[in-house]
Amino acid sequence: MAGAIQDLTTVRQSTRPRRATEEGPLTRWTLTLLSAGFFTAFLLLPLGAVFAEGLRRGAGLYFRTFTDPATLDAIKLTLFTASIAVPANTLFGVAAAWAITRFEFRGKHFLSTLIDLPLWVSPVIAGLVYVLLFGSQGVLGPWLKAHHWRIIYATPGIVIATVFVTFPFVARGLIPLMQAQGSAEEEAALTLGARGWQVFLRVTLPKIKWGLLYGIILANARAMGEFGAVSVVSGHIRGLTNTVPLQIEILYNEYAFSAAFALASLLSLLALVTLGVKSYVEWRARQQLEQSQS
Amino acid sequence: MSIRVEALSKKFAGHAAVQDASIEVGTGKLVALLGPSGSGKTTLLRLIAGLEFPDSGRVFFHGEEVTHKNAYERRAGFVFQHYALFQHLSVFDNIAFGLEVRPRATRPHRNEIRERVHCLLQLVQLEAFAKRFPSQLSGGQRQRVALARALAIEPRVLLLDEPFGALDAKVRKELRAWLRRFHDETHITSLFVTHDQEEAFEVADEVVILNHGHIQQIGAPGLLQREPANAFVHDFLGLDFQI
Repeated sequence: MAGAIQDLTTVRQSTRPRRATEEGPLTRWTLTLLSAGFFTAFLLLPLGAVFAEGLRRGAGLYFRTFTDPATLDAIKLTLFTASIAVPANTLFGVAAAWAITRFEFRGKHFLSTLIDLPLWVSPVIAGLVYVLLFGSQGVLGPWLKAHHWRIIYATPGIVIATVFVTFPFVARGLIPLMQAQGSAEEEAALTLGARGWQVFLRVTLPKIKWGLLYGIILANARAMGEFGAVSVVSGHIRGLTNTVPLQIEILYNEYAFSAAFALASLLSLLALVTLGVKSYVEWRARQQLEQSQS
Repeated sequence: MSIRVEALSKKFAGHAAVQDASIEVGTGKLVALLGPSGSGKTTLLRLIAGLEFPDSGRVFFHGEEVTHKNAYERRAGFVFQHYALFQHLSVFDNIAFGLEVRPRATRPHRNEIRERVHCLLQLVQLEAFAKRFPSQLSGGQRQRVALARALAIEPRVLLLDEPFGALDAKVRKELRAWLRRFHDETHITSLFVTHDQEEAFEVADEVVILNHGHIQQIGAPGLLQREPANAFVHDFLGLDFQI
């Protein structure tokens, strides 16, 4: 009898410690299987299919996709767009997070809600808004035409639409982090004689480094992958206003499946790399936060 | 270097944190701001440091008005309750910070900075810890780094906000005695906030008692105990049994 009790306690100890909020094994297994199954069916399988389809006709055709001038132009345009949208939103995001976490002002709550706007508006609507504003029939259309400026169906429109959809990522990543960290270190820097910009460069920036990088890579992934808003303002002019996602659609519609999937695999690769970097950066950001609270 | 505060008032969202407070800390004195939590003592200290700005009243350092000067212009060394050390910088770089951010014209040479930091590390008995990061130090060690960092700028006055509040009783006692000795050696005009009566009476030359943003009484520890000015001071100091 005593032996049996002894055995039971050893069994208990050898498994994980039991928590009060934990469910029974049946619930646990059902939930785990359900999410694993969902993950496989809706994420892993399609991702695998993209690479498989791209490579089906052999590596030669796969790589030939990337020598097609229209595709190369699409890649260039995507890189160019991201190279403007991401730094612009980094600047804006840091400024907005700074204002929201460090100052008290009228309309602060409204501003922090507004930052999320691009997340709840359908990207197609975002694109349409810009067409209505800058298109030839739009509010500013005649004025732009008189000055020979093209925004819609041209690169500026694509950049503006991309800036809009990637708007929240940096700010959203920083606000909770900066709120949790507080401003004691900044105050200490002030009393030690540091001025505003010195405080920012020497104290705040190192403190938010990983959170900032996290926002930047998410914004970058979205900037390169955005379809809806860009599609509306682009006009799909081959070699001029096609980004990578738009080019994939065109190739697909023209039954150039291998090329479409080859190009799609490039975007998927970007997503995977982003995911890897994101996990690393997230881990570092959490470490930094824990350190600042220790 | 003295501190003079004239009729200082500060409200936060309608709530008066400090009301009409006037104090004078003579050159080389060590004065305690004592009161229950929410009595406005930390706000008063922050107003003197330039971390808050008053609604009315004036602040003087050695006769020079600093009321409207920014914290970085006041050269008041401030030690925070939770140390506020720079987590991404080593102990050495934390202490050097105030010297490194000086404009080129007044910034000491690299070698001089190193020498000064080592002097300060010696003073707070942390020479062996120069390369450590704040997260690798104990509470008492962190507090001493914070103190060394504040002293590095050769402050005109030293302001300490609950300097030993987050430490355990034993370390508290040690650092308390150390602060008194340190003050006797350097004679830097110091003002420190505490809610611990014993701490205030043991360390300070003079004690300022606050309640609800009002100064209740100012005086040497002995005087406060002999002649409490009002019922609050009497109760707060727990003097019942003496009367």
